[in-house]
Amino acid sequence: MKTRNECREWRELLGAHALGHLEGDERAGLEAHLEGCAVCREELAALAPVARMLPHADPSRFGPAPQPPPELGQRIAATIASEEERTQQRQRRRLFGGLAFGTAAAAAVAAVLLLFVFGGDGGEDAAQQVRFANLPEGISIDATLEPHAYGTEIHMYVHGVPSGTLCKVWLRGPKGGSYPAGTFRYRWGDDSDAVLSSALDLSRTRAVVVNTGKRTFIAPVGSPVAALDIAKRGGKRLTSSLTDQQSYSVPVISRRR
Amino acid sequence: MIQPGTSTRGALSRERDVREAYAAHSGELYGFAVRSLGDSGLAEEAVQETFVRAWRAGERFDPRIGSLRTWLFAILRNVVIDLGRARAVRPGVADGGAEPAVEPLDEALQAWQMEEAMRRLGEDHRRVLVETYYRGRPYAEVAAELGVPEGTVKSRVYYGLRALRVALEEMGYED
Repeated sequence: MKTRNECREWRELLGAHALGHLEGDERAGLEAHLEGCAVCREELAALAPVARMLPHADPSRFGPAPQPPPELGQRIAATIASEEERTQQRQRRRLFGGLAFGTAAAAAVAAVLLLFVFGGDGGEDAAQQVRFANLPEGISIDATLEPHAYGTEIHMYVHGVPSGTLCKVWLRGPKGGSYPAGTFRYRWGDDSDAVLSSALDLSRTRAVVVNTGKRTFIAPVGSPVAALDIAKRGGKRLTSSLTDQQSYSVPVISRRR
Repeated sequence: MIQPGTSTRGALSRERDVREAYAAHSGELYGFAVRSLGDSGLAEEAVQETFVRAWRAGERFDPRIGSLRTWLFAILRNVVIDLGRARAVRPGVADGGAEPAVEPLDEALQAWQMEEAMRRLGEDHRRVLVETYYRGRPYAEVAAELGVPEGTVKSRVYYGLRALRVALEEMGYED
């Protein structure tokens, strides 16, 4: 009959045994004890997976783990707050048909309100929400275009491309001509709209083109046609083809499912 | 319970939830990000992206399926893969050859978990495991150095392994 203490003595050898460190009599004795002790067998079985994981670790890394800088939490909170704000703005924009209020007189505001209350889409002078459809999984792009005397103001939102991606934006005119609207860099976590502008009047704008390095996305302005994703097209070649005064249709190399 | 007309966002949708999740898990997530990316700037970017994605997908988090910690690590894992891809897509890298291998990342996660578990051990337990297992030193020598009987070194190895198991379980490890 083995005593509780005896069992404990054997059990305290289970760690060394699980690591294969026991030899000779000690090992033979423990193995004999294990034969007759289900509790110790179970305990050994519980230690085995831990022993198997030991080789994965690098003992030079057992020191204190690096800590994130204190401002990282605040940065994340700020990013989320600005994205929340942006989302609400977009909802408002959608709700109001993309109309810019600015310093319009009360009468004009009332007229405009009447217009969309009765189903008007804002007319030609209103800002336009542009949708990029059929985007690859994980990527979202949209834009709002606002008319100005100098041309068109573009609020561009891109998300899901690799951080640091240089995004180039153009507007397309009625004859297929390209009007550069500028560039911006997409950064993870920064979800504010990029504000760009182009000399092309909104009334003459037929499409918004965004190049994110390897890919180019086109969204038509004013008609609900699916956006095209021209994949695997070098930015350089694309730029030259875009500056050609060719027709609106852009050769589609491949279309994403 | 989500009421019609109210926000449909779930567990991590509110800013306060994110703040709490950050307080609880950012250290570990950052530690793993640094280990797997080898760069503190990239690691910060990865942790930030992880929490922003978690917040965006807040309603998809279901505590009945797994812990918040496990979920955040799953997101971080994807972010690290994306960052690896972004780094791989550089001039000179052939098309199609840039797919990062997933296996090493899982290994890194396992290694990091084990290292984190080690950090959670008491100094006495960690010391004997380092000396006997990682440095392969004889028990008698370690015992003499520590000024304790050899049996004590063995029992510390045992209690150390047990404590490691508990630490791994706390981190969501299942064998």
